[in-house]
Amino acid sequence: MKNKSELTDFYYKSLYPVLKKLDEQRKHVLYRVILVLSFFSLIYGALTYFFLNASDLNLDFLLASGVVYIAIVGFIYKFLIKDYTQEFKDTIIRPLITAIESKLSYASHMHVPQLHFNRSELFSHPDKLNGNDFVKGEIDSIPLQFSDIHAQKRHKDSKGRESYSTIFKGLFIVAEFNKHFHHKTIILPDSAQKTFGDFIGSWLQSNNFSRDSLIKMDNVAFEKEFVVYGSDQIEARYILSHTLMEKLILLKKRSGHPVYFSFVGANIHIAIYYDKDLFEPTLYKSLLKYKTAMEYVDTLHMAIGIVQELQLNQKLWSKK
Amino acid sequence: MSTSLIAVIVIGLVLVLMYNSLVAKKNQVQNIFASVDTQLKKRYDLIPNLVASVSKYMEHEKSTLEDITKLRSDANKPNISDEDKIALDAKMSSALGSIMIAVENYPDLKANENVMHLQRSLNELEEQISAARRTYNQAVTDYNNALEMIPTNFMASAMGYKPKEVFQILESERKNINVKELFNA
Repeated sequence: MKNKSELTDFYYKSLYPVLKKLDEQRKHVLYRVILVLSFFSLIYGALTYFFLNASDLNLDFLLASGVVYIAIVGFIYKFLIKDYTQEFKDTIIRPLITAIESKLSYASHMHVPQLHFNRSELFSHPDKLNGNDFVKGEIDSIPLQFSDIHAQKRHKDSKGRESYSTIFKGLFIVAEFNKHFHHKTIILPDSAQKTFGDFIGSWLQSNNFSRDSLIKMDNVAFEKEFVVYGSDQIEARYILSHTLMEKLILLKKRSGHPVYFSFVGANIHIAIYYDKDLFEPTLYKSLLKYKTAMEYVDTLHMAIGIVQELQLNQKLWSKK
Repeated sequence: MSTSLIAVIVIGLVLVLMYNSLVAKKNQVQNIFASVDTQLKKRYDLIPNLVASVSKYMEHEKSTLEDITKLRSDANKPNISDEDKIALDAKMSSALGSIMIAVENYPDLKANENVMHLQRSLNELEEQISAARRTYNQAVTDYNNALEMIPTNFMASAMGYKPKEVFQILESERKNINVKELFNA
């Protein structure tokens, strides 16, 4: 597996000609997006103005027209950048993944199966789940897969109108864990203790009826960041050795986003809440910028590096 | 209903809740100790095999091996207290640790299939024992806290509850264990 500086080199050296070409395409697409959307907005605005004057239509009409406008703009935008996005994934993201580890396969339109998402028990079961940028394969003979996931819950109001709220949006990683276990251990970001303080926070956590029993860990820094629920006290500590706890804290700090872990089945599930679609090309910033490049390289390297980072490749005897 | 009756009911309820929580904490400690004990027994069961496999080679560690055998027979005595078990475990862990380090000095032993197998089993068991010990310590801490904190301390002293000992977590357990190194050794 290549390290980060080798990857940055690869991004700028090997991918540079493609990047340059793609950046030209980006400028064209941006120009087209601005042109088409301005033209459409003008016509739409004029039409709305005409209808408003022609009859006694009220505020409801204006609101509905606003919603329709946003939907159409979104559709046009996606349509205009479709080819550019696909080209970016095929010529930049795919080679980057293969450069990190040649044994990994990549499918830009697929995602981690919902079965894994539900089985992780990190979030409530979604009514709608989509995602993209699916990477699957083996690192040091440890099965690993990850993708972008957007999970949503459906709501209905009293008038029967449907709406969706986000349960999770970010990177979802599944890998085989290096120890045998039979029960479930769930690790969530510690929001209660941070908001309400240690005493009330831990009382609230111990009375979370939707989860198994609360497990207090013997690492102060870990307890500050996370809350652990599990169906077996001893097994949770067997999984969460002092070493692993340190590594999970480090992973959380490095990602800079809320991180969720669960140990269910034979796997470790990691959900990092980025609240955005990852591995998408930028339209307003140059692809040649260092910061932009590092975002792709960092995220990919972190996801693929999980196996080595958490030493999942160092199996205990019983798992050999 | 008079105010005094309500006060009596509330006080009664509080007392019952305190009593129940103390009993629950004491039982939790006992329950988890049973799990620790099971893991420790598994390790003691490996001892005769280990001693038999390595004693032929290990001339300089004869006394440590004798200590290990004695510790095992002590641990197998009936009616030994939890405190004794905790003390025996600490001695056994350090004795086994020194044997495992000493194995490194004997190339014949390192290559021995049986010893390698034992080493791995022990390593795995140590991880499980460590988890059980940490769970036990947490249960004891919860129990001891209840014994010292107001208002449960009054109830606990009335019930005759005594503070319990925790396992000492060895410094080596807190260090990063490099399994690869252990196995490839």
